[in-house]
Amino acid sequence: MATAGKVIKCRAAVAWEPKAPLVMEEIEVAPPQEGEVRIKILYTSLCHTDLFHLLESTDNKGFPTILGHEAAGVVESVGPGVTEFKPGDKVIPNSGCQCRECKFCKSPRTNLCERSWVNDHIEYMSYPKTSFTCRGKPILQFTNTGTLAEYIVIRQIYVVKIDDDAPLDRVCLLGCGVTTGYGAAVNSAGVTPGSVCAVFGLGAVGLAAVMGCKNAGASRIFAVDINEKKFEKAKVFGATDFLNPKAYNKPISEVLIEMTNGGVDFSLECVGNTEVSRLALESCAKGWGLSVLVGYTNTDFSSKPIQLIYGKTWKGTLLGGFKIKDGVPKLVLDYMSGKIMLDEFITQRMKLEQVNDVVKLMKNGECIRCILDMSK
Amino acid sequence: MVAMETEGKVIKCKAAVAWEPGKPLSIEKVEVAPPKAHEVRIKIAASGVCHSDWAYLYDIAKMKPRPFPLVLGHEGAGVVESVGPGVTKVSIGDKVIPLFLPQCGQCERCQSPKTNLCTKNWEKTQQGVLADGTSRITCKNQQVHQFIGISTFSEYTVVPEDNVTKIHPDAPLDRVCLLGCGVSTGYGAAVNTGKVESGSTCAVFGLGAVGLAAVMGCKAAGASRIIAVDINSDKFEIGKTFGATEFVNPKDHSKSIQEVLRELTNGGVDYALECVGDVAVMRAAVEACSPAGGVCVIVGWIEVEELSLAPLDILLGRTLKGTYFGGWKSVEAVPRLVQDYLSRKILLDEFVTHRLALDQINQAFDLIMSGKSIRTVIEM
Repeated sequence: MATAGKVIKCRAAVAWEPKAPLVMEEIEVAPPQEGEVRIKILYTSLCHTDLFHLLESTDNKGFPTILGHEAAGVVESVGPGVTEFKPGDKVIPNSGCQCRECKFCKSPRTNLCERSWVNDHIEYMSYPKTSFTCRGKPILQFTNTGTLAEYIVIRQIYVVKIDDDAPLDRVCLLGCGVTTGYGAAVNSAGVTPGSVCAVFGLGAVGLAAVMGCKNAGASRIFAVDINEKKFEKAKVFGATDFLNPKAYNKPISEVLIEMTNGGVDFSLECVGNTEVSRLALESCAKGWGLSVLVGYTNTDFSSKPIQLIYGKTWKGTLLGGFKIKDGVPKLVLDYMSGKIMLDEFITQRMKLEQVNDVVKLMKNGECIRCILDMSK
Repeated sequence: MVAMETEGKVIKCKAAVAWEPGKPLSIEKVEVAPPKAHEVRIKIAASGVCHSDWAYLYDIAKMKPRPFPLVLGHEGAGVVESVGPGVTKVSIGDKVIPLFLPQCGQCERCQSPKTNLCTKNWEKTQQGVLADGTSRITCKNQQVHQFIGISTFSEYTVVPEDNVTKIHPDAPLDRVCLLGCGVSTGYGAAVNTGKVESGSTCAVFGLGAVGLAAVMGCKAAGASRIIAVDINSDKFEIGKTFGATEFVNPKDHSKSIQEVLRELTNGGVDYALECVGDVAVMRAAVEACSPAGGVCVIVGWIEVEELSLAPLDILLGRTLKGTYFGGWKSVEAVPRLVQDYLSRKILLDEFVTHRLALDQINQAFDLIMSGKSIRTVIEM
């Protein structure tokens, strides 16, 4: 490529400070160093974690930054020591990583990697080091990705190579939301055939969790949301029952316990709300119920320990428990063979310049996923 | 069958009665009615004194209220004195352990391999009465409630047949009584609920009987490091007896205990068992776990307070669960645990630090509060 080894000037949507609109800027993207890959981003979408950081941050630590962590593109160039990738490869950059060498990567119990930015830099939601600059100022890469930029540079351990025939404008969703929700059901919860499940929150992550419950053979899937407009889409993904908590004058956990004669076998919280986390746990069956926390927030949540003593389990998930280099390529193939849906998550398609419109749509619950086309 | 001279009659005997919360137990002469259908009357030979007994009397802010007056005690062993109509599983003269957790074998929970929480008579026994809604103990013409349907602080008690298990005739009742609660709970928390794996690193918070049993369970499961945590360093010696490899007193460190443990283990333990019953300790136990698949088991009993956690601590990959009676299906498991003791696979003698008569039972509570005892056994 004509750009290999050189600084690339390109467009990006920069978040200069919390709660402010994103600004289209020309940025400079440094060439990849040892072990790094520079990727031309072709399609990206926003996730509620991006919105959370932009709208809910209480300080400037993680700013200025380039958001975006759900994307697909092609390798533009690679740095020294990179053998797994070559220019032209179709790839999905990821906010989780897999080095394959550390004790975490070698353990079947976790998808964490000792080298992940999550271990040391969570307060910035980024590595301190960045390959982005704008008017001489360093710009962070949100969750080590920053895909609201035409080009990004990340370490190879965060890059997933996918099938050459994969349609990038759809499989970009496997960078975060769909992988997270689907994996939360099939990996983290380990939903079993014939089981009864409840999914709280019907955004992309929740709908992917519904799809995961269905694929795992659940016999009954309760879709729970205060926005009933989402029930139709939940049905598409496999939900069997639909509950709006605002339609009842008692906690939704009590409703679920009554409807299931004791509680659900698995519940998945896909909102990122502390009260919903509690309700999801309390909706589970005594003795064996398992609740998976999927939605992110930084506020403490609570419940009575007696819920656990009486046999319920509480666990969480990052990226659906998938080891990304192993899991994501398989999901791409699953999509290509019709085992999982992706098209049905896409409700809008826009250009990068319209990114603030997407933020607004997501805030208003009028969007499941909007695909941003990065081309000029 | 050898008929007891007391069979079918009301028995007058001694019991330690809690007339009201916050007051010492009162040794009283009580009347114990004969067993009704599907009930068993047991002559209690020995009973352990558990922290929960103390808590329901003196720390009621942390517990759901129980009706008073009440005979406490849920860690006993004895001999069947008589059985009511329909009882086929035990006979007069059998050595038995009454169980606060039943196993009917028929309900959905008993049929499931995932849980031990039998539902038979649950609501009734939690309210201190038996299947027909009444207790079998009266004192001064007043009904006295039976703690969790058991009441082992009485020379005689009556329990539902699904709340009793027959044990080996050679079992020493003054030691195997501990399998009625504390030891089974802690040991099972490690081997059943936590499913501690060989070669793993564990931390046990709180070195009372439950915590020491958890240490023993971690060792039996083949853990390579067992870090015992307690604010009372006097307990470290006995911790070693049960298998602890390291000892940490939180008071010796300015950092939080979870930070200390994460540093000691290069990122966190594989399994943490909270055996104190304090929500702050529970949170510390969660945060002491490795984010990469670490498992925290809540063992300590608490009913009212709330546990607060940071979502990220769970999202990264920790699992939080709890245990009731160590996850054992009670009727079938306790006889096996007795057998394990008789064949020296588990320790019991080492838990007993004091022996008292029923008349001295309030001293047992004092010993608990002073931290000087692990288990006091009341010999009837």
